[in-house]
Amino acid sequence: MTFQQAAEAHLDDVYGYLTWFTSDRFAAEDLTAVTFERALRLWHRFDPDRGSARTWLCQVARTVALDHFRSERRRARREELAAAPEAIDFRFAEGLSPDLESALARLTAGEREVVALRVLLDLDAGAAARVLGISPTNCTTRLNRALKKLEEALHVAA
Amino acid sequence: MSQRDLVAELRAAHVDAPPEVRERVRLIAAGAPAPPRRITWRRSLVVLVPVAAALAATVVFTRPAKQQPTVLELSKPARIAPNVGAATDKAAKAFAVPSPTNRVQKYEATLSLRVEHAGDVSDGVKRALRITTSFGGYSSSVHAETHGSRAVANLKLRIPRSRIQEAMAKLAQLGTITDENVSTVDQTALLNTTAREITRLQKQLATLRTEPKSDENDRRIAALVTRIERLQRGEATTRRNAHFATVSLHLETPLVVRVQKHEHGPLHGVVVALTWLGIGAIYALAIGAPVGLLFVLIWLGVRVVRRRRENALLQI
Repeated sequence: MTFQQAAEAHLDDVYGYLTWFTSDRFAAEDLTAVTFERALRLWHRFDPDRGSARTWLCQVARTVALDHFRSERRRARREELAAAPEAIDFRFAEGLSPDLESALARLTAGEREVVALRVLLDLDAGAAARVLGISPTNCTTRLNRALKKLEEALHVAA
Repeated sequence: MSQRDLVAELRAAHVDAPPEVRERVRLIAAGAPAPPRRITWRRSLVVLVPVAAALAATVVFTRPAKQQPTVLELSKPARIAPNVGAATDKAAKAFAVPSPTNRVQKYEATLSLRVEHAGDVSDGVKRALRITTSFGGYSSSVHAETHGSRAVANLKLRIPRSRIQEAMAKLAQLGTITDENVSTVDQTALLNTTAREITRLQKQLATLRTEPKSDENDRRIAALVTRIERLQRGEATTRRNAHFATVSLHLETPLVVRVQKHEHGPLHGVVVALTWLGIGAIYALAIGAPVGLLFVLIWLGVRVVRRRRENALLQI
């Protein structure tokens, strides 16, 4: 598989993952581009025997997203005294109910990340755990916790 | 809403990248170089296994199938006579040193022969003496000794110069020639000088004898006579020696030395290499294990700190 083929096949997955992870569509667009730029530089390290291109691209995307979160946190610390954070009207995906969108927005980034990997991208526990750098059991626990939180939020909304 | 419905609704959702993002990624991917051929461990095995097999086959098949004999013959024959006639011809040819009849020459030859058994040395000595006497010669010294299967004999033979070539040819048949050497020294010039000296002294003697008799004259005559006689004896000895050639004949059985050889199998080199690799591995383990452990601990510590920071960042 060439890089072009991998990029074409998994662009939506990477973009969706970053969108859910960051809960910021505009940031996700930039981070997607940065992810593929970095992936192009690191493509020689990709080993198909160790995992799929989608998993590898998600790992790269996660690193990019974490860098983004760190820079955002620094920026927020600088600006929180000057102005309150701006609320963004955001839709995670097409086809989700407003209650579910709202519940998703209340999840932490870590919880949204695991939901995105296991549910949206439909990665198995091993592949998702590899992206997150944790054990498959830990990954499953984290997913169950996130889903339970979503469920509770939906009950409250109902 | 149950958790199953929740998951179903989440799965039904789809996120498509906007066209501008897709275009950006396409532009990025267009700059990707052609994929280089990856050297995977499977591809490496495809090459390495036949190479290793070829090396092993080379090691196994290029080594001698049988061990070298434990008996090592140190004295190699110069040539082996296939039959008596051929040996005679070759020996005669080998010793065919020009010998002009009008010159007086001192002739010396050395002949080393190898025989198979100690008994052959004894027989060879007897036959050599018989050959020598048959050509009108004699033996000036004979020395023979035997130690078990090892026997050596040294003979110094005097053979008439005129028949030396025939004698050498016959002596060469006593065994296999391992060494041969011939030297001739021309004595004619020395004899001529001696003859002129004698003539000169004889003229002096004749002159002295014509002079009046006195004690002094008698002493000089006696001295001249003594000197002339000594020169004449020397001349005669030289001529007599030149008449006989001196042949040093050496007979011996092969020198056998039992060499203790180590029995090495065809894979001995591999075993030695593996042994040294094992020794090196033990040393590397002894030195590297504490260092490696330290690195592992540092790595684990860094990993834990990074994980905690990451969790704090993601509010997990």
